[in-house]
Amino acid sequence: MSQTITIDPVTRLEGHGRITLKTNGHGEISEACFSVTQVRGFEKFSEGRPYYEMPSLMARICGICPVSHLLASAKACEAIMAVEIPPTAAKLRRALNLAQSIQSHALSFFYLASPDLLLGMDADPADRNIFGVAKAHPELGRAGVGLRRFGQHMIELLGRKRIHPGWVVPGGVTEPLDAAKRDEILALVPDAYANIKLALTAYKQIASRFQDEIESFANFPGPFMGMVADNDGLEFTDGKLRMIDAKGIVLMDNLEAARFDEAIGEAVEPFSYMKFPYYKPMGYPAGSYRVGPLARLNIASHAGTPLADAELLEFKKLSNGPVLGSFHYHHARLIEILHGIEVIEQLFSESSILDKHVRATAGVNRQEGAGIAEAPRGTLMHHYKVDSNGLMTWANLVIATGQNNNAMNKGVLQVAQRYVKADKLTEGMLNRVEAVIRTFDPCLSCATHAFGQMPLVIELLAPDGSILDQVSRV
Amino acid sequence: MATPVFSANHMAHSAKHPRTLLLACGNTLRGDDGVGWRIACALEQQPCNGLTVLFTQQLLPEFAQAVSRADTVIFIDCSADTAAGTVSTTPIEPAKDLPRILTHHLDPASLLRLSLDLYAHAPARALAVTVGGESFALTDHLSKTVQAAVPTALQAVRNALQMVRAQVH
Repeated sequence: MSQTITIDPVTRLEGHGRITLKTNGHGEISEACFSVTQVRGFEKFSEGRPYYEMPSLMARICGICPVSHLLASAKACEAIMAVEIPPTAAKLRRALNLAQSIQSHALSFFYLASPDLLLGMDADPADRNIFGVAKAHPELGRAGVGLRRFGQHMIELLGRKRIHPGWVVPGGVTEPLDAAKRDEILALVPDAYANIKLALTAYKQIASRFQDEIESFANFPGPFMGMVADNDGLEFTDGKLRMIDAKGIVLMDNLEAARFDEAIGEAVEPFSYMKFPYYKPMGYPAGSYRVGPLARLNIASHAGTPLADAELLEFKKLSNGPVLGSFHYHHARLIEILHGIEVIEQLFSESSILDKHVRATAGVNRQEGAGIAEAPRGTLMHHYKVDSNGLMTWANLVIATGQNNNAMNKGVLQVAQRYVKADKLTEGMLNRVEAVIRTFDPCLSCATHAFGQMPLVIELLAPDGSILDQVSRV
Repeated sequence: MATPVFSANHMAHSAKHPRTLLLACGNTLRGDDGVGWRIACALEQQPCNGLTVLFTQQLLPEFAQAVSRADTVIFIDCSADTAAGTVSTTPIEPAKDLPRILTHHLDPASLLRLSLDLYAHAPARALAVTVGGESFALTDHLSKTVQAAVPTALQAVRNALQMVRAQVH
């Protein structure tokens, strides 16, 4: 008899989602759908607002990665203004974006994923959380809390607020950095290094225990996309887009924000509010691709900082070509944290970081503009159109988590086929179905621009669509 | 209104001056929810050795280290559970059972527990001073009922601080 399993809510995610697993008459999982069930409509209600309000409005989509929305939005506005921001403003924004990636990656790795990694996929769910980690591995708990505090505190020092800082504006940033804040940030760097080195060492020691998960967690060939620097290095803020295929062959390169919609289309599916972006030349769904830490490390030739370069070299040895297993997103996040700390240290050691000229001004010089930034979860695109008075007439946001949508669905199917037996649901099975989604660290609040809640649901459905079983966690 | 920051009086350890952490919680744009910040702002105007004031919208795991380094922690917040304008002073013990799912905030007892688990230390004294809220609408003003309770709440916090100092001396 065919069945459908629904996991609702899926836990330890940013947002609210549902997983539906359908079985065939042989008790095998035949279909999987990861549904995002809420919508907020930021693109629509921005119509009529002055374009310069967009960064602060759009940042409200998310409390985890507001800086990425600020940056992509400000860059779209700057395309409308046709201005180039002062070099010091670009450096300060880069530092802010990296600080956000550090705190977000720390949240993902230590708070959300490490309970599975350190305590085991089959551990008692009552203990499988950050508090369980704190008890069993306090040194790693402290490292996680410390790294998140480092990123958050740096955002607060620069932008005055940990969440939704208003510092990034069209044209640059509102005020320059002073020496006292620079020194405070640099003083925090040694602890940050110690914490990430501890985490990388611990991760490499335990990763081999998860060979089964590495092979089955969204491990499939497909394209990867992200931003790279002009020298092919890892870049989060001011680069161009590159896409490679599963063999590492470049499919698209040097794509600027203004032309991203020539290459990227968006499909919709009836079971989710989250869109399904794809690479237009390959069509949908063949052109579905992955973004985020794994993609960034796959497309970049080097990190550009000594410690991260050494780690990246080791990472790339995991495969003869691009690293395809999505379980490695966890590892990639840690390398990006290390890279971020190194770049921040470099930027804040330059005397020019204190330059006072940090904002360019202009009015409406174009009626369309797009901006791109690398958010912690992947490439983020904001695309706006305005009238001659600068009032918004149209907006479209292509969100990182949405770009991983197809990969998450394929990953859920892959894991469910490996672990879920329709006649008996166990906690370990269900947790692995959730855990494959956690590797992507999806932010469903961003992806649907919906209000974030943690829970997710798993449903088991019969072939006729009736619910046979349902698991909800709160 | 100030943004979430540590105040100037950082936690320099001194036998004469116990390390006291004041954690003011709430959202100043949601009416009475901002009462904790207002009380802490008033206290911050009178410098006090060993006192650190932290303004925050939510209690976060990242505060565990600061909590672990304090001898006393006082949480100041609005309560949605007590009658409007009621000032309550409640001792807080580290939680025994922690939430299974970490979202983005903790309650005071869970933060004390996390402080113990991560840093093997929790403050010797922890208490919460709360004011019952009446309105959590989108405004930066307190309701009249809660505004009238602010002096009482301020005095409750001052009493707690004096008690701490008296115990040390």
